[in-house]
Amino acid sequence: MTDHATGLAVDAKELGKTFATVRALDGFTLGIRTGEVLGLIGPNGAGKSTFIRAVAGLLSPDRGTIAVLGRSPGMAVAARIGYMTQSAALYDDLSVRENLAFFGRVYGLDRSTVHERTDRLVRLLRITADVDRPVHQLSGGQRQLANLACAMVHEPQLLLLDEPTVGIDPELRHRLWREFAHLQGTGTTVLVTTHVMEEADRCDRVAFVADGRVLDVGTARELRERAGASTVEEAFLALRRAAGS
Amino acid sequence: MNGRRIGALTLRIVRTFRHDRRTLGLIVIVPLIVMALIGYLVGDSGKQALRIGVVVPAITPGGAAAPVLAFQDRLAHRPGIEVEDVPSEAAGRAGVRAGSLDGLVLAQATGVGPTASLGPITVVTPGLDVQVETPIAFAAASAAAEVRGVSLTPGDLPGIAVERVSLPSNVRPSTISYAAPAMITVFGFLFTFMITSVSFLRERSSGTLERLLASPIRAREILTGYMLGFVPFASIQALIVLGYATLVLHAQVAGPIWLVFAVLILLVLGTVNLGIALSFEARTELQVIQFIPLVLLPQVFLCGLFWPIRTLWPPLQWISKLLPMTYAVRALREVMLAGAGLLAIASDLIALAVFALAMIAVGTTVLRRLRV
Repeated sequence: MTDHATGLAVDAKELGKTFATVRALDGFTLGIRTGEVLGLIGPNGAGKSTFIRAVAGLLSPDRGTIAVLGRSPGMAVAARIGYMTQSAALYDDLSVRENLAFFGRVYGLDRSTVHERTDRLVRLLRITADVDRPVHQLSGGQRQLANLACAMVHEPQLLLLDEPTVGIDPELRHRLWREFAHLQGTGTTVLVTTHVMEEADRCDRVAFVADGRVLDVGTARELRERAGASTVEEAFLALRRAAGS
Repeated sequence: MNGRRIGALTLRIVRTFRHDRRTLGLIVIVPLIVMALIGYLVGDSGKQALRIGVVVPAITPGGAAAPVLAFQDRLAHRPGIEVEDVPSEAAGRAGVRAGSLDGLVLAQATGVGPTASLGPITVVTPGLDVQVETPIAFAAASAAAEVRGVSLTPGDLPGIAVERVSLPSNVRPSTISYAAPAMITVFGFLFTFMITSVSFLRERSSGTLERLLASPIRAREILTGYMLGFVPFASIQALIVLGYATLVLHAQVAGPIWLVFAVLILLVLGTVNLGIALSFEARTELQVIQFIPLVLLPQVFLCGLFWPIRTLWPPLQWISKLLPMTYAVRALREVMLAGAGLLAIASDLIALAVFALAMIAVGTTVLRRLRV
């Protein structure tokens, strides 16, 4: 389900959120189209994670409006969102299969569906050999794949991925992006945060974020062209300079 | 040994503490609270006296009232004892059963007129609390020794018969039987609190709680799941402690064993939620560990295990009434020592249920607050 009037999976307008004296979101406006892979790109502390947590219903903005899959964020849409946290939020003592079974059940799946999806996901993410190993025995990359599998087990319409490629090797990063592209093919909307500028080309569209607001949105090519830059990184820096930040 | 490396490590620890203000606060506050409590409890000031009933004998010409009156007068001057006249032995016994009196001391005279002397003395107590029975029996024995003009040998209570009205038989329970209700309660509480608070802290610090909160699971479902998950393990621990106390140490269980479990389950339910609620106030496992003396020791000191609640400073009596361990210990004493049934401990079970519900409400509120 999307907001039929706008065709947007996420429609955020003028969001503001302040923590003590820090303005994490400051007039953050962004529309995420249904079925696209949108990358939120910006430096650490830009407001990417705060925005993703607002979309997940984990925090309320102080001001502005936000609609997620046509509803207010929270319980009403939680079952249709998959959330992959920055660190691998898994139960270390449980195996990958047990983690998947747990999160599948939390999202209301029955036993046979969990079983079937576990088999499919571990094949898709190529972690079949590790599926019965406790998570604490896995490498960092394998943990991230298991983390992603847990976010996908209930086949969400909107997948929120908070820095999924941090700390993993290039080969695994390539595999992850391939999976995100595959998800797009299934009609899933993917919102992915990163501060790795090279990952912009893998997204349908990119939103440059700095100081709690969106500086510009478009395809990587559009952003480069508008800024008259040869790389996404240069385009971002040019935009920041223009914005005076 | 490299002084620079050792110095760097020491400085790192000092800096960590300096930045972790909550731990620093707990380091100062916890021992202050605990020591203030111990200082008060071990000291003599501010203590309330035990209330003892005596039946004043009728004074008749040529009667035998004089030695009994002398005994009662001496008894009234014993430290920690407050003597109250009761109209009859039956009224005094009723007062002991109802809890309005801590004990009843009955004295008789032998002989009449000027040759009358102090005869046998009976101390009537509920028999559930050795901390009540012992000082009353000792006060009676020392008062009697003064009247008789003899010295009292430490540990010896000559001519004092103790009647324990709340027990099924008058036989003095073993020391372990007296200690078992508190022992089971303390360990049940401690194990449950430690497991729950650390597990929930891990749930938070590992990010799995955030993931759960982003899912359709409700706060009350998380709490119920936690309770159902922990209760069997806490019950197994309680069963081991109870089994060891009864089968190996031969602590007595005069009442129904299921009632002992009912008390423990209610305590565990409240404690699981207390652990969850407090774990939100802790950022590190060190802080959780520091919470343990803060939540455990006041309960241990104020539950009547070491000092009768009635003798505490009134504000501490009020605090003890807010603590779940007070009700659990009292209920278990009633069941294990006196063989009490469900009705006799209903008020304690209700108090434990109220505590559990209050903690569930606190836990739910805390979890809901995390969601937005």
